[in-house]
Amino acid sequence: MDETNRLLGMQEETNSGSDSRDTQKGKYMTFKSGPEYFGLEIQYVQQIIQFQSITKIPETEDYIKGLINLRGRIIPVVDVRLRFKQGACEYNDKTCILVIHVKDTIVGLVVEQIAEVVEIKEENILPPPSIGRADKAHHKYVYGIGKVGNTVKLLLDPEKLLYDDDSSDLESSKLKEE
Amino acid sequence: MAEDFNTDSMLDMYLFENGQLLEQLQETVLEQKDADCFDEDSINEIFRTMHTIKGSSGIMMFDNITAVSHKLEDIFFYLRESHPDNVPHVELVEHVLEVEDFISNEMEKIRNGDPVDGDASNIIANLDKFLEMIKNGGAAGKVAAENVHEEPKHFYIAPVATSASRFYKIFISFFPETEMANVHAYKTVYALKEIAEDIMYSPEDILTDEKSGETIIKEGFRILLQAQCTEQEVRDLIGVGYDIEKVEVYECDANQFLLGFDFGDQAPAPQIDLESSVETIEEKQEEKQKEGAQEKKEEKPKIVPGDFVIQSKEPGKQKKLAKDKPKGEKASFISVNVSKMDQLMDLIGELVISESVVLQSSDLKVPGLNLDNFNKAAAQLASISTDLQNVIMSMRMVPLTNTFQKMNRIVFDVSRKLGKDIEFVMVGETTEVDKNIIEHISDPLMHLVRNAVDHGIETNEERVDSGKVEKGKVTLSARTEAGKVWISVEDNGKGLDRDKILAKARKQGILDDGKPDGAYTDKEVYQFITLPGFSTNEQVTEYSGRGVGMDVVVQNIQAIGGALEIESTPGHGSTMSLKIPLTLAIIDGIVMEVGSSSFVMETGVIKQFIRVKEDMMVHEPNGDEFVMIRGDCFPVIRLGKWYGLEEYRESVEDGVMLILEVEDRKICLLVDKLVGEQEIVVKPIPSYIKKVKGLSGCTQLGDGSIALILDAPGLVE
Repeated sequence: MDETNRLLGMQEETNSGSDSRDTQKGKYMTFKSGPEYFGLEIQYVQQIIQFQSITKIPETEDYIKGLINLRGRIIPVVDVRLRFKQGACEYNDKTCILVIHVKDTIVGLVVEQIAEVVEIKEENILPPPSIGRADKAHHKYVYGIGKVGNTVKLLLDPEKLLYDDDSSDLESSKLKEE
Repeated sequence: MAEDFNTDSMLDMYLFENGQLLEQLQETVLEQKDADCFDEDSINEIFRTMHTIKGSSGIMMFDNITAVSHKLEDIFFYLRESHPDNVPHVELVEHVLEVEDFISNEMEKIRNGDPVDGDASNIIANLDKFLEMIKNGGAAGKVAAENVHEEPKHFYIAPVATSASRFYKIFISFFPETEMANVHAYKTVYALKEIAEDIMYSPEDILTDEKSGETIIKEGFRILLQAQCTEQEVRDLIGVGYDIEKVEVYECDANQFLLGFDFGDQAPAPQIDLESSVETIEEKQEEKQKEGAQEKKEEKPKIVPGDFVIQSKEPGKQKKLAKDKPKGEKASFISVNVSKMDQLMDLIGELVISESVVLQSSDLKVPGLNLDNFNKAAAQLASISTDLQNVIMSMRMVPLTNTFQKMNRIVFDVSRKLGKDIEFVMVGETTEVDKNIIEHISDPLMHLVRNAVDHGIETNEERVDSGKVEKGKVTLSARTEAGKVWISVEDNGKGLDRDKILAKARKQGILDDGKPDGAYTDKEVYQFITLPGFSTNEQVTEYSGRGVGMDVVVQNIQAIGGALEIESTPGHGSTMSLKIPLTLAIIDGIVMEVGSSSFVMETGVIKQFIRVKEDMMVHEPNGDEFVMIRGDCFPVIRLGKWYGLEEYRESVEDGVMLILEVEDRKICLLVDKLVGEQEIVVKPIPSYIKKVKGLSGCTQLGDGSIALILDAPGLVE
């Protein structure tokens, strides 16, 4: 929890311009979702805010939880657990919203628990294993596996995380259209 | 020009400034289009405008623009110098507008990054012909300047001081954020050269040394001017642009003038050579400056000719100088990026919300607290934040002047082509409207004005036959009323032909066969002309009559929440009024709740709130529902069911029905309860979320929570 509070104080510092790009390189914001830890390059992370109430939007995918009001700016919120098909979980005081900024889109990610910022050197990043359980939907959002000590973090591709429709979604949306 | 200049910002500046010049030019020309000839001021103004455009386009190497403006400048130079008598004025106006169109067109290409390839040879040939004609036809008493390349010399007339000459010291300070202040400064000098008998400025190396821009910003730009004109004329020439913060003009006598830039200091100043041309003086100054700079290094106390250049590098002294002088009183403007304004607006919205969070904090509800002082302070805070909101809203407001000016041009063009004699009157063009709205009404308005000129006003012969004044009249007026802006296009032409419209409508099968013509009100009949593909004009003209248009006008106006009203009196003309909201950003809405979600519906589309009983409902076997209210049957949408919300009230008797009316279609919307009416700031739903039918946006409510804005037309579909 202390870590969370410290990170909450971080605010927008991480996004304060191109000079800091170099210092951000190789750093990953990690968070826990289900049993696994995920990492997201820190340059995409704009801010971490405490969980707040979300306004639901009808007729959208289940993982889009709705809208929140971020300092006068209304942004959509995606539940990472639902996105990974890990099943819904109760929101508690550890639940945070990770505000990420990808290609002019600002989206909030609801994550179970924020872990820490870690530095992962390039040689410690391995491609994801090609043999894996196919039902693990989150594997296609993972572009690499980062080794930190003797733990691993699954590194996420934020664009795929936001925009990749999985096939089942595609089919269902087609059905809707028909 | 120094190569280090950022050409992008230079291009921006070029486009911005020339755009403004052209607008101004068009305004001047159209103001005087009905006169017999241009008055002296306008001739001078057009001449100067062309001169400036020529100059800057030359620098930017847009050769065709340079060539065209050069030619027009020739003509006006001739007009200015020779005052020919019988100049065909209308033709001249057309030529000026043609040139203006050409340059605007080219500038548009520049803006889009297209090659500037417009062919100017045609226009130039026309202008040549015209010039030849006025030369031959006009009073050839004075010899006109045959070659324009001589003409700059007129600006550099040998500076002979006559008794009529007056001397000015001018001090210009630029806004610190001005880019390339040296170029701006040069522009000023350029403008002044036209009236100057003698001119000197400091820093002097503004064209060759881009660092001088910084110096100018830091210390201001100083000009010594000898000219036969009043202080006001000097000020007008310099103008106050978005870049100039302050202009100070002091008149002085010849001796003080000779003292140079010291502004009253007793130090000996550079000798001004009144016999040679400015170029030579400038050359000499340059030499002196070099000398001076060297000597200065060697021996500081010695004051040498040209010391003003050196002095300009002593910022301390200059600053004191600037402070001592009285400040200019002209209003100044800066241009601000719209996104910054939007950001400011967001922040203010946020401030208002946090304010209500603080003021309604549950900590204050503890019994026994003495909150008198707190409440006083809170009221003060609330009034400040209300003021803040009003100011930011007013910042987004722009007068309609420019839009109206464009219409002036259209009336001119169309009436000339159609051979109609039309007077165009503008009323209330300073009415202010949100910038977004202006962008949306320009096209519809253009269409209405064209229609008025083309269809509304009869031909000159018809007018005489029906006993009217030959000259038609089109009035464009704007006014604010009850939070809406009314823009009307009124003509005193023949008015709409009710019978013709009805006949056409019957032919197209729009009318109800059983209903006699007389059963339709005038208003209903006139609304037919806004239907797609409806035109009573037998002949398609270049401007109108194809039957596309009025429907597009109506669509565009409805898209911004406005409406079109048509009034007409046969034989006396018709009035088309656009009723549009003042701003797109804020709408009046009713806030309501369904389950745990809040929704907002624009107040305008809600006709009625009603509680209904279960026995008023009609259920169809396929699940559709209707409600009978006072003998009328309306389809029902249950918002909770429609959107699959949780915990909404099942029974109609617990909820409230809203009767919505969109384009004559009525539906009922069932919601749980109404919360209240308030002004809401419309924000788009983030594009990441796919468009949901029936939702047009979202907004934050007073407590910071988000409500979704319902889109009535979407629901009706």
